[in-house]
Amino acid sequence: MKLADLVVRFAYWLEESSRYRRFKQAAYDLLENPHSRIRPYFDLFMMVLVLTSVFILLYDVRHTPEHWAVKFENLVLVVLVLEYLGRFWVYDDIHKHVIEAYEESELVDEPFRLRRAFYQILQAKWTFVSSPMAVIDLLAIMPSYRPLRILRLFVLFRLFKLFRYTQNLQEFGAVLREKKAELLTLLTFLLFILVVGSSAIYLFESSNYGGDIDGFFEGIYWALVTLSTVGYGDITPHSFEGRLVTMVLILSGIGVISFFTSIVVSAFQEKLGEVRERQVCGRLQKLKDYTVICGYGRVGAVVADYLHRDRHPFVIIDENEEAVAAARRANYLAVHGKAQRLGALHRLGVGANACRVLALTGDDVVNVYITLTARQLDSGIEIISRANHHRTVKKLELAGANHAIEPYKIVGLIAGEYIGQPVAFEAIQGILMGDQEIDLEAVRVPPGSWLDGKRVEDAGLGDLRLILFGVITPPERESDHVRHHYDLTSRRFQFNPGPDFVLVGDDLLLVFGHRYSILRLRHKLKL
Amino acid sequence: MAQEVARQLQNRGELVRMIDLDPDRLDKARQSGFQVEKVNLQDDEELLSLGLDTEVDVFFSLLENDADNVFLVISIRALAPDLPIVSISESEDTVQRLTAAGATKVIDPYQISGYRIYEMVHRPVIAELMDRAVFGKGVDLEIAEIPVPAGSFVDGQYLDQLSLSSRYNLVVLGVVDRDYGDQLIFATNPKRHRIDVNDIIVVIGQEEELERLRRDVTRTGEQDRVGPVFTPPRRDR
Repeated sequence: MKLADLVVRFAYWLEESSRYRRFKQAAYDLLENPHSRIRPYFDLFMMVLVLTSVFILLYDVRHTPEHWAVKFENLVLVVLVLEYLGRFWVYDDIHKHVIEAYEESELVDEPFRLRRAFYQILQAKWTFVSSPMAVIDLLAIMPSYRPLRILRLFVLFRLFKLFRYTQNLQEFGAVLREKKAELLTLLTFLLFILVVGSSAIYLFESSNYGGDIDGFFEGIYWALVTLSTVGYGDITPHSFEGRLVTMVLILSGIGVISFFTSIVVSAFQEKLGEVRERQVCGRLQKLKDYTVICGYGRVGAVVADYLHRDRHPFVIIDENEEAVAAARRANYLAVHGKAQRLGALHRLGVGANACRVLALTGDDVVNVYITLTARQLDSGIEIISRANHHRTVKKLELAGANHAIEPYKIVGLIAGEYIGQPVAFEAIQGILMGDQEIDLEAVRVPPGSWLDGKRVEDAGLGDLRLILFGVITPPERESDHVRHHYDLTSRRFQFNPGPDFVLVGDDLLLVFGHRYSILRLRHKLKL
Repeated sequence: MAQEVARQLQNRGELVRMIDLDPDRLDKARQSGFQVEKVNLQDDEELLSLGLDTEVDVFFSLLENDADNVFLVISIRALAPDLPIVSISESEDTVQRLTAAGATKVIDPYQISGYRIYEMVHRPVIAELMDRAVFGKGVDLEIAEIPVPAGSFVDGQYLDQLSLSSRYNLVVLGVVDRDYGDQLIFATNPKRHRIDVNDIIVVIGQEEELERLRRDVTRTGEQDRVGPVFTPPRRDR
């Protein structure tokens, strides 16, 4: 049992070795991981390699191979073999099977048998070897073996290999697979017509009776050419019966082709939404800290426009087809679906890469539901929700929303402010809506910058033409030079600090001023 | 929408008169405890009888349909040329139409809500502060406009010489000079502004401080009796 011991020890060593794991992960990223960054480049490289090798093989049909072409073919062979072995290797972990079998035998107190583990490994690897893609991979290596000419046929498998490297082609295959039953029916029908047609033409137009058909194979060839409405005309019926058969075949051929077309088209139409959604999800996986906007109504559209202006990534989900179409027209990432469904939000990366959910539909019930679902998926995510009725605010907060926005209440507040002091209100609203050159901005004091430790008076904000509205500090800061402070969530707002107020790193200055003034302050702080 | 506006105005102690045409909406509003009068909004006589040019200070047109609002605003504007009219719009296009129809101020609730959500995403600190200052949750800061009467101590002074922000606990945003239209001249404007009669100073601060400034500004001719100086005034340039 010395060998078994060694194997087990080696398996544990592999399991513990972080270097081995890193190496294997890198190989996995390169070959299989659909989300890795390097994979697209690898796929592109392989496609170019395969196409070049196919081209050279085709060139060799009429020419004697050049010296460098042989070398290149050998290189391709090496790469393909390495790729095959690599895939074989990363398909699963051999040492895990060994460890599993070993621990199982330990548990039931039986002597460890290498054979069982070996059998399991063989089974797992066989699943890989027998998978269609792996078979194609293996066959694609064949044409490099020159002595056997028939193996040249397998050059086609190199072309099939391209499937592996293009996601679109794989999707095409997946869509057609969905319509298996219909396609099978069609194929049966086609075979039936083909057999009937070729038998009939063989009977009536055989060369014995002065026709063009030399054998049954020619009959099949003629039937297929006629059926597909290609009709080369190299073989033509001369007898009356033969022409009758031809007419029937042409008519059924039109039927077969239109049936086939409609199957493919309808399959794609049904899958179009899904294909698009997959594409969107694929793009989302590469993003980080993006926002999920549920509902692309008026409010959703306004938010999307602003986020787009700021180059903040976001994705839209709406259950209304028209809204989704409108979002797509605006070139936004958009998915059709019900946001309140757990699966829909999950697919959009809530609970993973998404950092914020906005529930902005016009229906309060849906908004509450979205809030609940999002909170369930991710306890830390920020949720801002729209409340069309005042009553809903409480419910949204209970459901886990961080903020609730009431569009109608905002109108009320604005109307109220407006009645009292129209001029002041216009001014502040202009600042708040960002449609003036004067802005209210928060500027952070970087620790160690020239502002760190300075008094407000010496900060020179006046020279920059900025008005200091206040300073946001940690919640515990007290100062004799501030007459009023307000506690925000986890921060303290020091309103209108006196000239002797000392600024510290990480304080936020809230300043009013021209956009350029604020830019200049930011610039000065960076130096 | 209209109920929300009415509630806000009533909370501020304003006198509100609500009118509507549609019996369903009348019922609904009455159930919510509002007093609503039934007035035919398409009948000029009935509208005039509300006292548009005498008793009404501001007219709100808050119907749910954009077309109805435009029609109502036009009618009111024809009846009362000087009355401030506030209206709401469902879409951006209607904003212009309502303004053309004669609305003094058009509020686009969705635009504003959308922008506020964006603020929360983009700069949460300012959004929270504004939430409290402008929309009044827990912070008693207010924006106020203080008109300058004839003979006030600020008359003829430069804005930056007054150092209002240290004498009073206030932040001065700027001045509206009635002679140059309604535009706010910001305090940061490089052109120094000399305050004169009928200007309006726009400030942010607590209610008491605003009151103190208002009192001092309206008190005429006694420059030495301005409120106590809290900290040494900022350097005047």
